[in-house]
Amino acid sequence: MLDVGSLTVALPMGGRLVPVLSGVSLALARGESVGLVGESGSGKSMTALAIMGLLPPGARVAGRIMFDGADLLAADEAQMCALRGRRIAMVFQEPMTALNPLQTIGAQVAEPLRVHERMSRRSAAARAGELLARVGLAPPRATPDLYPHQLSGGQRQRVVIAMALACGPDLLIADEPTTALDVTVQAQVLDLIAGLAADSGMALLLITHDLGVVSQTVDRMLVMYAGRVVEQGPTAEVFAHMAHPYTRALLAASPNEAGGLPAPISGQVPDPAHRPLGCAFAPRCARAERDCTRAPPSLVGGGAHRVACLHPHVAP
Amino acid sequence: MTGFLLRRLLILLATLFAASLVVFAVLQILPGDPAAIMLGTGARPDTVAALRHQLGLDAPMPLRYLRWVGGMLVGQFGTSYTYSVPVRDLVAERVMVSLPLAVMAICLSTAIAIPVGVLAAARRGHAADTAAMGVAQIGVALPNFWLGLLLILAFAIRLPWLPAGGFPGWGGGPWHGLRALILPALALGLPQGAILARVTRAAVIETLGEDFMRTARAKGLTRRAALWRHAVPNALVPVVTLIGLQFSFLLAGTVIIENVFTLPGLGRLVFQAIAQRDLIVVQDLVVLLAGSVIVVNFLVDLVAAWIDPRQRHVSA
Repeated sequence: MLDVGSLTVALPMGGRLVPVLSGVSLALARGESVGLVGESGSGKSMTALAIMGLLPPGARVAGRIMFDGADLLAADEAQMCALRGRRIAMVFQEPMTALNPLQTIGAQVAEPLRVHERMSRRSAAARAGELLARVGLAPPRATPDLYPHQLSGGQRQRVVIAMALACGPDLLIADEPTTALDVTVQAQVLDLIAGLAADSGMALLLITHDLGVVSQTVDRMLVMYAGRVVEQGPTAEVFAHMAHPYTRALLAASPNEAGGLPAPISGQVPDPAHRPLGCAFAPRCARAERDCTRAPPSLVGGGAHRVACLHPHVAP
Repeated sequence: MTGFLLRRLLILLATLFAASLVVFAVLQILPGDPAAIMLGTGARPDTVAALRHQLGLDAPMPLRYLRWVGGMLVGQFGTSYTYSVPVRDLVAERVMVSLPLAVMAICLSTAIAIPVGVLAAARRGHAADTAAMGVAQIGVALPNFWLGLLLILAFAIRLPWLPAGGFPGWGGGPWHGLRALILPALALGLPQGAILARVTRAAVIETLGEDFMRTARAKGLTRRAALWRHAVPNALVPVVTLIGLQFSFLLAGTVIIENVFTLPGLGRLVFQAIAQRDLIVVQDLVVLLAGSVIVVNFLVDLVAAWIDPRQRHVSA
């Protein structure tokens, strides 16, 4: 349904175009759930914004984004507006600021219905009430006439989810939907998203920096680093045979149930304007050798599990 | 809401009390004896003393303060020393000029500034924005008396459409009176509109960067719909606050324009009363203007609370 091929995005920074995505390919079938994992600055959110057609002004895009046979990169603004919120919906990281503070949550959930389905105010409001109930915001706990500031972060994220679900999209992009929430609420919201996706048969692109989140939720996963996909495959298989040193480092850095302390990855994601010539992870990698600095490795592997590393932990 | 209104009323009374004390004290310190000024330099000392007694100026200071404040509380504003008419009538006559003028100027300022500011923000960095802000810059820099003179030259002398000055009163019908106020309202309103347009632009640009604007676009709203439905309402609070401030200024801070157009407004009344040591008029006017500023601020707060539910709930 969604087919992104060799997507390259460059953004204007300090007077010149800096590549933030280099040849990202990913595909989603109808009803499938895929995780996009990486630290901040790895290009996960840019991938999402490119699919939505909401990249910052001045962005240069190359490659292919096909959605149900339509070429989104060739689509004009009106076509994208008709698609956004109706067939592709998005949930954002910051529920505290993602809602308009001046409008009731009912009005905000009803808005996509009014825009895309030309519903009357009354029937859109009724439908918004149902949607809010579906994400667990039913009276007496919450009513559609509440304002965002009267809700907790978790409740607000439920509102954003209800809003995204309003028109029954085919694809839901959730960009770090639980990062800003309390740990106890994170699991609830994640279960809600995964449950809704499974019930409605919509595809889910879940963006997160937390490998733990991915392991519980998605069928397939892609690990991104510095604008490239470095490892991908079915979730179970990747977890069973983690090949890329970066994937392993991410796992060590995520809070785990065994109670071990997370081990942060030393160093930083390179600034997009100063990415190393070879493998971008090499400067932080314990397994890096001289050949790693020559050219960025490409994804290799016979089956569904592929890795872009010259010295993987296991050959996929 | 009742508590909110009650608190506001208390603030109003306290401010009026403070204003009355300050203006009374200042006018006591100010050199110049009203009685001596009224009688001229050749007056005999015993005549001056007699007039001082007649005006009640020889009473002890606290008593004079109490007489004045007590009179105002029962609606007795006293009698002007120089005009020998009740201050109430004097003020009422001037308000009939200054209030319509201020209302016209502020309507003009708002009607120009909000569309210009919003469109400049939406087209930020483009030619339309640069042009609009260039004109606004000129508007801010133009002294309003000079603009007034230009307007007289253009629309009263070259094109004899409107009177160059003076005020015929409202007796000859509303159009007759309004005609005399159009040019002064333009001279006052255009520079204020220029300031307001700049503030509106800045406020809209700030809200355009908010997360909820991205949410609105992700819902499928067009750029224009997102601008007017989500960005503009959120940018209005600072704009409304400034409109309130401008209105208070326009009510009595317009001596120069009133002089240019020889209008019998409040500003000139204050100016003349100070020059002629017409203490009672000055005292009354200062307290009345302080009261009007507080009432306008109160109305601004009401509008802000109407726009922004967060302010509503804080004040409730």
